[in-house]
Amino acid sequence: MMSNNSIIRTAHLNLWYGDTPALREVTMQVPDRRVTALIGPSGCGKSTLIRCFNRMNDLVDHCRITGRIEFHGNDIYAKGSDPVEIRRKVGMVFQKPNPFPKSIYENVAYGPRVHGINDTALLDQIVERSLRQAALWEEVKDRLQASAMGLSGGQQQRLCIARTLAVEPEVILMDEPCSALDPIATAKIETLINELKQQYCVIIVTHNMQQAARVSDYTGFMYLGEMIECGTTTQIFEHPKQELTENYITGRFG
Amino acid sequence: MSDKFHAELAETKEKVLGLGYLAVGMLEDALRALEENDPVRAEAVKARKRDLSNRTNALEEEMYRLIALYQPMAKDMRMIACSLLLISSAERIGRYGKDIASVVLRTYDDDPGATQRYTDLVRGLSIPHMGSIVIGMINDSLKAYETEDLSLVAHHSDRDDAVDALWHTIFREGITYMMEDTRTITRCTNYLMVVRYLERCGDHACKIAEKVTYLVTGEQNEIR
Repeated sequence: MMSNNSIIRTAHLNLWYGDTPALREVTMQVPDRRVTALIGPSGCGKSTLIRCFNRMNDLVDHCRITGRIEFHGNDIYAKGSDPVEIRRKVGMVFQKPNPFPKSIYENVAYGPRVHGINDTALLDQIVERSLRQAALWEEVKDRLQASAMGLSGGQQQRLCIARTLAVEPEVILMDEPCSALDPIATAKIETLINELKQQYCVIIVTHNMQQAARVSDYTGFMYLGEMIECGTTTQIFEHPKQELTENYITGRFG
Repeated sequence: MSDKFHAELAETKEKVLGLGYLAVGMLEDALRALEENDPVRAEAVKARKRDLSNRTNALEEEMYRLIALYQPMAKDMRMIACSLLLISSAERIGRYGKDIASVVLRTYDDDPGATQRYTDLVRGLSIPHMGSIVIGMINDSLKAYETEDLSLVAHHSDRDDAVDALWHTIFREGITYMMEDTRTITRCTNYLMVVRYLERCGDHACKIAEKVTYLVTGEQNEIR
């Protein structure tokens, strides 16, 4: 994958849940302002890998990591590295939309408030900017105080993206962001991803290979915890170098 | 992707190959009809043209359907891309066969003794020799598609150079014949058309070889 302009790098990354290895010797680079997709069968380690990028795996018991993960060249697991700060810079959107049971406005304002912003005018600005970036503003601007739970699934997911954007991250991790959405809502999220890459690094985990092909610039194929092949999305889907990748992409697996 | 898709793709490949052999068969038979001044054989080639078009169109439709329903990727996608081009080249080759059959019918003469004279002229113009090189190239391209053995098409570029050289040589030879005996102008002009068709068929063999190479390696390399 692209060597210059990378924002995240891993080197010989290994991860175990207890005695079970989940990642083996993963070495990769993630370029900034591009969309990188991770594909592979269930349990191959792709979600585990992106959870390393913002230290979400710290919250899992018996999880052990060796190797290096760098964000802007700094080891994020180094002593003195602050996981809260890393999670602000590396935001995450999950498979199922998970808005807080609060108003639309409060969902977006929550993060900035936690980070100490209390100025109402500034919060208003942040909420509008984030909702606009998440392509949701036009649909909700007249009901910002309404409960987020009343939004459709697709709108809720865009709200979660807006919530992530509100704290001005540099990287957005998306773990199967469309798997609970209908095709129209999915298309909106995909369009949004394409816009987000102008300003952010986006890493998306997906089971849907057509989606990976549609939205990403780079694709990594993982299998049994290993990064089998990384390359431009065109190369991976047109002529992968590894037979394993070829077999997975063409559905000749197992 | 499902096994159902791969079964359908394998079936499509068989049909594509069948179309390829139908086309090369038309070319081969037309050349034989030309050499033997045989209108019956020529008519039989012409009669296969409808089948050739129908099968080409049906296969094209079938592959669009596979793309629409299964969105194939990687080698599956390359197989369909290669097959789509192959059927279009095969159809052209078959139609050149039909065109050569038309030349046979247009220039047919039932005068006893004519056949020997025409056979001599066809042979004098090296048409059977050129035909066997071109048909060999097409057969090897089809065999490579079937087996994915690229060594079969490794020398297509050189073989095509030989075909191009023959086209230029025969062209000059034909003109010499016509200058020597103006009564041969109509016949020789028709025969030079045949030589031109063969040269085009050699290019189609190369085109197929290019796409089979893409199918196997994922690389696009022009054979010239």
